[in-house]
Amino acid sequence: MRILIAGGGQAASLVATRLIREGNEVVLVEQNPERCRQLEETLDAKVIQGNAASIRVLHEADIRNADMLIALTSEDQINVLACLIASVESDVKFKVARLRTHEVNYWRRILQRAGLHIDLIIHPETEIADRILRVVRLPGVSDVIDFAEGRVKLFGMNIDEKSWVAYKTVEDLDRAGPPKNSLIALIFRGQQVIVPHGAEVLNPGDHVYIVTTADDLERVCQFMGLQTQESLDRVYILGGKQVGIRVAELLEPQGVSVKLFERDIARCERISQILRKTVVLHADGTDESILAEENIKGAGAFLAMTNDDEDNLIASLLARKLGAKKVVALINRLNYLPMAQRLGINTTVSPRLAAVDRILQFVRKGRVLSVTTFREEEAEAIELIAAEGSKYVGRSLREVRLPRGAIVGAIARPNGEVVVPRGEATIQAGDRVIFCTLENTVPLLESAFLADARREWV
Amino acid sequence: MGVIRPAALGYILGQFLLALGATLLVPLAFSLWSHGGPAPLAYAAVVTGGVGSALFFGLPRPSRDLNRREGLLLVFSIWLAVSVFGALPFYFSPAYFSSFTDAFFEATSGFTASGATILRDIESLPRDLQFWRCFSHWLGGMGIVLLGIAILPLLGMGGMALYRAEFSGARSEKLKPRIAHTAQALWKIYVFLTLAEYVALRWAGMDSFDALCHSFSTVATGGFSTRTASVGAFDSPLIECIIVVFMLLGSVNFTLHYRLWVERRPRRFISDFELRTLLFIVVSSSLVIAAILAWKSGYAPALAFRRALFQVTAVTTTTGFTTDNFAQWLPLPQLILLALMFMGGCTGSTSGGLKTSRMVLLYKVVIREFERMVERRGVFAVRVGKGVIPETAVRSLLNLVYLSFLVNFLGCILLAASGVDVFTSIAAVAAAMFNIGPGLGNVGPVEGYGGLPAFAKWVLSFCMLAGRLEFYTVLVIFTPAFWQR
Repeated sequence: MRILIAGGGQAASLVATRLIREGNEVVLVEQNPERCRQLEETLDAKVIQGNAASIRVLHEADIRNADMLIALTSEDQINVLACLIASVESDVKFKVARLRTHEVNYWRRILQRAGLHIDLIIHPETEIADRILRVVRLPGVSDVIDFAEGRVKLFGMNIDEKSWVAYKTVEDLDRAGPPKNSLIALIFRGQQVIVPHGAEVLNPGDHVYIVTTADDLERVCQFMGLQTQESLDRVYILGGKQVGIRVAELLEPQGVSVKLFERDIARCERISQILRKTVVLHADGTDESILAEENIKGAGAFLAMTNDDEDNLIASLLARKLGAKKVVALINRLNYLPMAQRLGINTTVSPRLAAVDRILQFVRKGRVLSVTTFREEEAEAIELIAAEGSKYVGRSLREVRLPRGAIVGAIARPNGEVVVPRGEATIQAGDRVIFCTLENTVPLLESAFLADARREWV
Repeated sequence: MGVIRPAALGYILGQFLLALGATLLVPLAFSLWSHGGPAPLAYAAVVTGGVGSALFFGLPRPSRDLNRREGLLLVFSIWLAVSVFGALPFYFSPAYFSSFTDAFFEATSGFTASGATILRDIESLPRDLQFWRCFSHWLGGMGIVLLGIAILPLLGMGGMALYRAEFSGARSEKLKPRIAHTAQALWKIYVFLTLAEYVALRWAGMDSFDALCHSFSTVATGGFSTRTASVGAFDSPLIECIIVVFMLLGSVNFTLHYRLWVERRPRRFISDFELRTLLFIVVSSSLVIAAILAWKSGYAPALAFRRALFQVTAVTTTTGFTTDNFAQWLPLPQLILLALMFMGGCTGSTSGGLKTSRMVLLYKVVIREFERMVERRGVFAVRVGKGVIPETAVRSLLNLVYLSFLVNFLGCILLAASGVDVFTSIAAVAAAMFNIGPGLGNVGPVEGYGGLPAFAKWVLSFCMLAGRLEFYTVLVIFTPAFWQR
């Protein structure tokens, strides 16, 4: 597929890297010449220097022959204009745009009424708010990812020095009688990603991902020594930007008492008009004395959602020190993510990664149902439907040879049954299979799994 | 810049050597035909394939893309390895090549498409070795790494870093979004030109073996021939004419070929500033030399032009075929040829030299300095043809010119130290590092390089590699900064 990406920022280059590796031809349009040079050096793609809202530039990037346009510039206007130009000047099959305005829902409607059809509009802030809501009640859990319409859960947790699972091998845990449907799928250790075998030791500081079913989630969390909180007591939000307001809006109807810190008095007033129950505090939430005064100790959750990565990191560390049960930091710069992990902030959300996940999921639509990117690009969890005639169908997992670095996390049967397999399970046609895999095996797996299915569609 | 992983480089190098081992089997058909028994080529193929598979199967598959430093090192390693293993067929034929030095010199000259030879009598060489010499030109002419990127799937990783390290032409614009597709497009044009020349030469009356070998040598702007007297041995104006045309085609920027043959936009081809400059220089130099030959050396006017045009084209395109011993010409024509050696063909082509557009650019930069001296507050852009050249390109050009003169100077000193006379040293180093082949003085078209001391041959082999990779890629490896953590 020929894919034109407008914009050359971090999200764009991450999406491009993935798409190139999966065999697509990618052309990027980026305004900054210096950034163009960097992209040319790191990506096997053509880079055109210019404004993505310029008709001449888009023609130079050969938009006429592109199959897909992904508009990821930092300006919403440019993204919309690029889609408009593409819809008139070429017949690209798919258009994807990222919009960051809080009026995104109005925009969706307006664009539709204006007859400009954009196949996917990504609003990273909505995606992030959803992610936060899924983990806010699970203090030890860094993130929860849904598969098979929520029947299968993949959750991440940090191994703590004091936890009973520290220094145990995977086999030790198996012997300790874990809930039936659970499997340690991936271990992130420093820069490394490991698909563990029985003798692998869980070291303190490791970040592990565990597959389980929706029903067993809580039991597995308890087994792993994590607390769960039925009722969320108090939630503090730092920064009255889009994400913060949106999360507060979602938490209010659940009867949670929410307090929001904002430094700018004018913004405070605006927010207090939008949010009914939330208490808006005109204060600097990175100030230790203010946090102490607010009695963070024992609070259900502390969400650092300003636009400033450093502020978010510092405030999260403070809140953790002061004893908040759950701490979430919003991190924009992707290269801060591993460090945040090392500092012990186990839940981070990133608007860029959220956008990348949505795009990859869309690009692979029809072939892959769901996709999640861990960290920058080292590992992925993907959900595929086993096609009739695929070489994996009808054979037990012991017999089929998966690519190195890939494991089957779960099998969700059409009848609603979910199996977290231990070698003996058999994949049947129509099953949704959730794989955890090191990044470089994704295309391999995909083609092996779907080879025949794809032929049917043609 | 990232860490260098020897295992990753070894793995990819192994894959390359496996492919080289397979190509060594191509001329084997000629071995069986000409002297029946197991040929040196077979031994060479076994050794190359053996080393290649040891590296390829013995080392783990690298998990990440190559970084820039690894890319630079890998490109140089590939060229070095190809020269060493490509020398094996010669080394295993002691009747013709007395030492490994000679074999390595010949192979390096082959892959860098230089065409400098240590042989004095080529007709006595077995056909398979004759073929291998010309075939090595063809493999190396378009860029051996580029060929690898086009056909070896694994080179897709780090392809970018490799492409930039080998194809450093100022205008190496990417034709397709993906590097492998760009490489394939370029190679398709290359193959097409070779076939076209083969057909033309057959039509002009050459036998099929000579036609094939000369097609390989011409399009790659190499210069190895199947005859001691080079193209002069055929003494046919028609053949010379065809070869002149294809030497020029080979030294045209391949992006232009793509515009012409694939996109069918002949105007882009004809109106290209660099191509026009090249043609102008070739024609005007030929006329000047023809006039001198006719006036002072007693050539008939028509013959003088024919000889001058062929020699000038062969030297400017850095091919190095000959139809006349220009080392015996008067000093002025020889100096004109020496100057043309420095210029070379177009960027992004198979030819060597500093490239025509760079010489034009250099001239424009000098002019701009004069303008600046007059108008002290003036800001002047450097224009070549219709385009404006960015300042970074000007800077890297000046660096490149300086580097090439430095290498030339050091090479001359080393050659002089090994006992070669001054004029021969200058011409030999220029002919080697700009990948022309025959030089002037004692390394002219007739004498060849066989008489030089072994040390001089190693120096020249290095110059050929450095020149082929446009200096930076090779020289950066010898800087301390490259190896710093």
